[in-house]
Amino acid sequence: MQASIIFKNVKKEFLLQEDRTFKEFLPSLLSGKGWATTKEVLHEISFTISQGETVALVGKNGAGKSTILKLIAGVTYPSSGLVAVQGQVAPLIELGAGFHHELSGYENIFLNAAILGMHKKEIELCLSDIIAFSELEEYLHVPLKKYSTGMQMRLAFSIAIHTPAPILLVDEVLAVGDADFQKKCLRRLTEIKNTGDKVIVFVSHDEKSVVNFCERAILLENGEVVKDSIPSKIFELYLSNSQ
Amino acid sequence: MFSLLTPFRSHKYLLLQLTQKEIKARYKQSFVGYAWILVNPLAQLAIYTFVFSLVFRFPTNNIPYAIFLFSALLPWTFFQTTILSATNSLVSHADLLKKVAFPREVIPYSVALGKLVDFIFATVVFFVFLLFYKVTLHASALLFIPIFLIQIVLTTGVSLFLAAANLLYRDIQYLTGLIMLAWFYASPIVYPLSLVPVKYVWAYKLNPMVGLTEAYRSVLFGYPLETSILLWSTIVSVLIFCFGFWFFKKVERVFADVV
Repeated sequence: MQASIIFKNVKKEFLLQEDRTFKEFLPSLLSGKGWATTKEVLHEISFTISQGETVALVGKNGAGKSTILKLIAGVTYPSSGLVAVQGQVAPLIELGAGFHHELSGYENIFLNAAILGMHKKEIELCLSDIIAFSELEEYLHVPLKKYSTGMQMRLAFSIAIHTPAPILLVDEVLAVGDADFQKKCLRRLTEIKNTGDKVIVFVSHDEKSVVNFCERAILLENGEVVKDSIPSKIFELYLSNSQ
Repeated sequence: MFSLLTPFRSHKYLLLQLTQKEIKARYKQSFVGYAWILVNPLAQLAIYTFVFSLVFRFPTNNIPYAIFLFSALLPWTFFQTTILSATNSLVSHADLLKKVAFPREVIPYSVALGKLVDFIFATVVFFVFLLFYKVTLHASALLFIPIFLIQIVLTTGVSLFLAAANLLYRDIQYLTGLIMLAWFYASPIVYPLSLVPVKYVWAYKLNPMVGLTEAYRSVLFGYPLETSILLWSTIVSVLIFCFGFWFFKKVERVFADVV
């Protein structure tokens, strides 16, 4: 199946609800005032990512990178414009969404993989790969709360990297884990990338990994696309802008 | 209409995993573990039996009070615990709502399924009590199951509405505790319907849990079944479910933005 992402004049506004209680809501409703103001976080953004591409989103905090990932993942919807995503999306955003701390690592593999949209058979098929990649064999039956942050990240990454989903969203995940595991992850991501039938959207502040890993980068500033080019050019502009 | 059932097919495994998590995680770090599933209803039973059969002495038509109570308390416990947990369920799964797309109703459904398992375990205790008090169930007792299905529809409808509403306004979770307390005493669980003043009975019966609770006792102990109020409860349950589902789906799109 063809995997692709199309953004066409995508605008996204958020409601700024100051406090989510009736106390604020009722008086403002009675006085006829709007009780929530909106903030536009993406202004009419357009871009297309096609199958086989590995694209980095670069920008300061609040530039709109996470919002774009959420729109691609389908958990939020544009205020106007069109977001068309073809193919299943596996988010590696802040890994470990849905891990449960009281459950063992083993139980969490099934839980997390199910959340990422995998079926029982698919999980069983790659279970041993997941375990081997995580290097956590001896801790598998220990509750997750005994794991260090790095170990949790390793487990989460190992699960996410084995999903058959053709679109991968990678958000700052490489910031955790030790240097060896980071290298291993990048190697694995490169393998996936080299199969050529996936779409990888990568968010990172780390110039080196973006330049090494992506062939295209999009620079975002205050919810707008400033430049869409090769990573080295993007970082040149990004670094000169932030000085 | 068919979209109601899609999560059960397309996200069956996720639903199963979340349900397992509900059940397993709850008692993981506790000494007696799963025994809590039984301890809770037993303790409630002991307390209410003391208060309402020794202190107040409600007439229960020759059925031992504990049995009279248990037959209504078990379905009620399913109703109450599901609604209370489901109300918080979306908020406590905020990290999922913000990251992964799947039909959101899977979350409250998994809560209900988890509580259903509790209910089934507690039913075993009910049978032990029946043996102990030497009460035999009427042949119509199997009709309990279809009536309980109606209650599941009602429970899910209320849960969907409150779960979504709580995501918008956190007041709901505090309000729900109060509503459930009032609802409990507004239903004939610890006392028989016959004690409700005749003047108010018509208004009292508007509560869908009244028809359901009465129907449970009718089919279990072979009293005449009042079909009109059961019909009313069924209609209200279905309407509440439709409204709850409609509301849930309507606000589902903004879940990730407001959580």
